[in-house]
Amino acid sequence: MYPFNYHKPETVADAVALFNDADDAMYLSGGMTLIPTMKQRLAAPTDLIDLSGIAEMTGIDVAADKVTVGAFTRHNDVATSGAIGETLPVLAQLAGLIGDNQVRNRGTIGGSLANSDPAADYPAAVIGLGATVHTQERAIAGDEFFQDLFETALQPGEIVTRIEFPVPTRAAYRKFPNPASRYAVVGVLIADFNGAIRVGVTGAGPCAFRASGLEEVLNQNLDPEALEGVEVPDAGFNSDLHASAEYRAHLVKVMARRALNDLLS
Amino acid sequence: MEQSGEYRIAASREAVWEALNDPQVLGECIEGCQNIEKVDEQHFNVAVKAKIGPVSATFNAELELSDLNPPASYVINGNAKGGAAGFAKGGAEVELAEDGDATLLRYAVKANVGGKLAQVGSRLVDGAARKMADDFFAAFSTRLDPGAASTGESESEEENKDEVPRYESSGSRSIWLIAFVVLILAVLFAI
Repeated sequence: MYPFNYHKPETVADAVALFNDADDAMYLSGGMTLIPTMKQRLAAPTDLIDLSGIAEMTGIDVAADKVTVGAFTRHNDVATSGAIGETLPVLAQLAGLIGDNQVRNRGTIGGSLANSDPAADYPAAVIGLGATVHTQERAIAGDEFFQDLFETALQPGEIVTRIEFPVPTRAAYRKFPNPASRYAVVGVLIADFNGAIRVGVTGAGPCAFRASGLEEVLNQNLDPEALEGVEVPDAGFNSDLHASAEYRAHLVKVMARRALNDLLS
Repeated sequence: MEQSGEYRIAASREAVWEALNDPQVLGECIEGCQNIEKVDEQHFNVAVKAKIGPVSATFNAELELSDLNPPASYVINGNAKGGAAGFAKGGAEVELAEDGDATLLRYAVKANVGGKLAQVGSRLVDGAARKMADDFFAAFSTRLDPGAASTGESESEEENKDEVPRYESSGSRSIWLIAFVVLILAVLFAI
C-alpha cells in the first residue's frame, strides 16, 4: 500500500475544487481501470476523488426523442433499464455486452468514456448515435470527443456529468469480443435516423471513429450485399497479439454486416 | 516486443544529425523528459515521466551506444527501470537516409519487458509506442523546420539552432535518443 488522500465530494463543483487543490489528483468513477492500474503501481496519484457520492451525476431520463444517462450510471443499470430497453434498446444491449457481470456492476458510462480505451464499447454508441457528452462546463459533440489513444477532448479537471443520446429509428450493435476480457476486438454500431445512416466503430483504431466510407455506401443502399465490395483500409489500425490491423479491418466489415442484418430484421 | 518504423523529416541529413546531437532539443521533444545526462561519450542516463491513459510512471534508463557510423547509422542498447512498474532491456538500430531534400529515419527496436508491465500483457504496446514515436517526430520535425511553426516559436528555434555547434565536436551520439524514446516508451505502455 502507498498513501494517498481519499475524498468523496457530494457535488461536481466540490470535486473540481478538490482536483484543483491537489498535486496529482485523479477522479475515481467505477474504478475498473484505475484501481487495477494503481494496484500494479502503474499510477500513484496523491489524491483520489471518488465521484460515487455525487447525486447530480446519476439517473436515467428517457424522452421520446432523447435518452439522457447520468455519467455515474453503472453498466448493469443501463443494461437492465426497462425504459432504455423500450426506447433505445441498442444501448441496453451494448451495455450488457461489456466485460463480465462484476465489471458491469461497478463500471460507469462516464468512466468508460473519459478513459477512452480503444476497445471499450460505449464509444461506439457515442459515435454511432451522435451523442452529446456534457461536462460541468460545456457540451461536447460525440464526433469530437475521442481524439486518440486514451485521449479525449476533456481538459484536466473536467468531469463528464451526463450523456445525451438521440433516439434513432432503429439501430444495432455487434462486436467481436476478446474471449477473455470481452473487450471489443472490433465493435460496430449502425444507426438509422430516418434514412440517414451513422456507423460508429470501436476497437479497430486508437479510438472510436465514424466509418464514413461505410456510411456512404449504406446511405445509397441499405443492404448487407452492398458492403461486399467495400474496402476498409487498415492504415492506422491497432495491431497486437490479439489481432493484426488487416484482420481488424476485415472484422469491421463482418461486424457491420451482422449489425446491418440485425437492424433490418 | 519488436517494433519498427519510418519517418520522413523535412530537413537535410546533416541538419537532422546535428539536431539529434543536441540533448536539449531532444529533451524538449520527448514529452515528460525530466533529465538527460551524459556520463561519457558513449553512456547516457535519461529520466522520463510518461503518462498515457491511466498509467503514469517515471523511468530511469542507462544507455550505451555502439557501432557508430556517423551520419548514417547507430546501435543503442539500454536498460530502463520503472520502479515497481517494471523494467525493460533492449536494443535498437537506427538509420538515416537521404531522400531528396528530406531525410528518412528508420528504426527497429527489440525489447524484453519484465515486472508488472509484463504481467499485464501487451494489448496496447504497439499503439502506445507508435503514438509516442509519432508525437516525438512531430515535435522534432517542427523544431527542424521553422517554416512549419508559428512565428512566435521560430525565434527560439533559431536560437536553439545556433547552439547546435556546441555539440558537433562530440559527433554522432544521439540517434540513440530516438531509438531510446521508442524503446522506453513502448516498454512503458506495455499495459
